[in-house]
Amino acid sequence: MRRGALAARPLGVGVLVYGMAFGLLAREAQISLSEALLMSGLVFSGSAQLVAVSAMGGGQVPMGAAALAIVGTILLLNARYVLYGAALRPWLGGLPGWKAYPTLAVLGDGNWMLSMKAQSEGEEDAGFVFGSGFAMFIPWLVGTWLGSEARTLVQNPAVLALDFLLVAFSVAMCVGMFRGRGDLKIVVAAAVASVVADQFLISGSAILCAGIAGAVVAWFSFLDKDRPGPVPEMDTPR
Amino acid sequence: MNIRTEFFLFILALGCASLACRFCGFWIMRFVDITPRVEAALKATPVAVMVGLVVPAALRGGAVEWAGIVVSGIAMKLTNNDLLAAVIGVAVVAVGRSLQLAG
Repeated sequence: MRRGALAARPLGVGVLVYGMAFGLLAREAQISLSEALLMSGLVFSGSAQLVAVSAMGGGQVPMGAAALAIVGTILLLNARYVLYGAALRPWLGGLPGWKAYPTLAVLGDGNWMLSMKAQSEGEEDAGFVFGSGFAMFIPWLVGTWLGSEARTLVQNPAVLALDFLLVAFSVAMCVGMFRGRGDLKIVVAAAVASVVADQFLISGSAILCAGIAGAVVAWFSFLDKDRPGPVPEMDTPR
Repeated sequence: MNIRTEFFLFILALGCASLACRFCGFWIMRFVDITPRVEAALKATPVAVMVGLVVPAALRGGAVEWAGIVVSGIAMKLTNNDLLAAVIGVAVVAVGRSLQLAG
């Protein structure tokens, strides 16, 4: 758990600033500090919270059909978590539910990537996933609080480029995790899928479509790859 | 503590939607046999997701963002430290954006 929390520290800085941006917008939409904190705690999803807040222009809480439309958007935006959870099954599947589900509740893009990479490098402690997720949850709440309280703290967050942190981190991890020609078709399929999804579907779907495309390609090309041995064994140490 | 009841119900609905997404993939896989082939598909998702995050950002970004992406990639090759490489990439974009604002 400690290792996960330590590994996620730099990402926590990005989450803090993102949380501040949310806090600022929430205040502009006449959402009180306690309401904003409750929202960050319960929803814990930047894109989903921004959609909800942008629908509250005059401080009106969406009701009925308007609220349902936002719930639907959030299901689409966060559908990538379905994929993240599925990918964590082989690792977290052996845990009791009271450990596995809280881990999923604090899951985020950055800590999922960190965890998958740590796992591929031999990390076995499932606490890594919870530790790195929790290390993002706390700055998200603190950022929400700071943004909601002090609107002049960051005048132009774009100049700090922390919105670019997850992109730069993905580039670096992608370069680091790339395992030669076998991965090339996965990368190409994911790139094509993300461009198509980004152009024709809502913007949040690019990640999901890329992930599915990569998984499908890996599924179909599995036979081409070298099998691990005559008896495929899942827990063979690498 | 000023929390409006209707706002509380609204975020409760959002929270349930968010949690449902987080829980259901993991839960569904309970009923799927993790064969080596399924495992290979699941193991392919991180790289694919990262590509899905970077490519649209590159398409939407300008020269500064492209430079940030290239520099992050090169820094990773040189240092083999993903967090350091990410911070270097962010620094490039931060400097580039300030220069754009100043110029």
